Amino acid sequence: MLTIVARSIIIYIIVLLLFRLMGKRQIGQMQPFELVLTLIIADLATIPMAEVSVPVLHGVVPLFTLAILHFIITILTKLSTKFSNFISGKPVIVINPKGIDYQAMKQLNLTIDDILAALRNCGYFSVAQVQYAIMETNGKISVLPKVADAPATNGALNLKEEESFVPITLISEGQLMQDNLNLAGLKKEDVEAIVKAQGGKSIKKVLILSVEKTGKSYIQFMEGEGKSFEGSPLEACS
Amino acid sequence: MKAFHYINFGLIFLFLIGICVLEEVLVSNSLVAVLDDCYRIEQQIEVDNNLNTSRVSIMVDNLEYKWSKNESKLCYMVNHKSIQEIGQEISKMKAYVTNNDIDAFKVSIDTIKFYCGAYMHFMGASVHNIL
Repeated sequence: MLTIVARSIIIYIIVLLLFRLMGKRQIGQMQPFELVLTLIIADLATIPMAEVSVPVLHGVVPLFTLAILHFIITILTKLSTKFSNFISGKPVIVINPKGIDYQAMKQLNLTIDDILAALRNCGYFSVAQVQYAIMETNGKISVLPKVADAPATNGALNLKEEESFVPITLISEGQLMQDNLNLAGLKKEDVEAIVKAQGGKSIKKVLILSVEKTGKSYIQFMEGEGKSFEGSPLEACS
Repeated sequence: MKAFHYINFGLIFLFLIGICVLEEVLVSNSLVAVLDDCYRIEQQIEVDNNLNTSRVSIMVDNLEYKWSKNESKLCYMVNHKSIQEIGQEISKMKAYVTNNDIDAFKVSIDTIKFYCGAYMHFMGASVHNIL
């Protein structure tokens, strides 16, 4: 049993490292060749894990070979559009201003229900609302709505708003996020001062503290409700 | 893609080549050593026509010692089930020496030779094995 535990740990670490090397795409975003690779890796990894008579190398060598193959295919798809189209396919327009493209639908082996479900996922419940719908190579459908059904944007309404920035989390579950602190150009003392100003005793009692360059900051203690407060510490730094 | 990725994949590629070469060398050396010992023991039996001699006994002990040493290395590369028969036959040979059972001893030697030959054939990179 100890052998199986040790083997499982080794294989797990190797598969984890391989996936980190191969990128961060989620299953829904994978290209066909990436999905095939993931399925094979999952199957290959279990063989030496459960079968003690099979050397770990019998699992590791095919895993590494597939990783190399994936690496080569990735490079080739970047170098050649033709190769990329051959491996991953091309995006296909399934709805155009004239309506649903029946030929494209047949080519992609889609049903009307599939298209309607994909449109609903994008927030459109009628084909009449859609100007274009494109089936991407990863199997997802992108939708361009008709102007009448497009959501209003600040640009369309001529509203002049300041550009927004990503909030920076300074404390998460009582832990000071040192990297984010450096990013914000703040010190531990600054954060402690914010916490005290908001009625807290120590950083460890804070569930979350996030600050923005413009607008409100947000703090929530582990016991209590969250609240927004004015005055970003980042403004003082900049 | 970062240089880091190229280096990592380069290292993996080198590792794969290293493993393939190491397997080829390690497995053929170990199996050829066993085959050589088997041929020597076979010749000795032809000469003596008797298993109850100290020379045959030493040769079998020597074969068993060499095999146990090589087997532990081979287990890193080869499915343990594929080579366990060789160890079993060597153990049987020791019993046959004690009982002076020449016929059974010869069968064991032939079995070992067969397994070594079969595994060397099975391991080699050929069109038959790949397909």
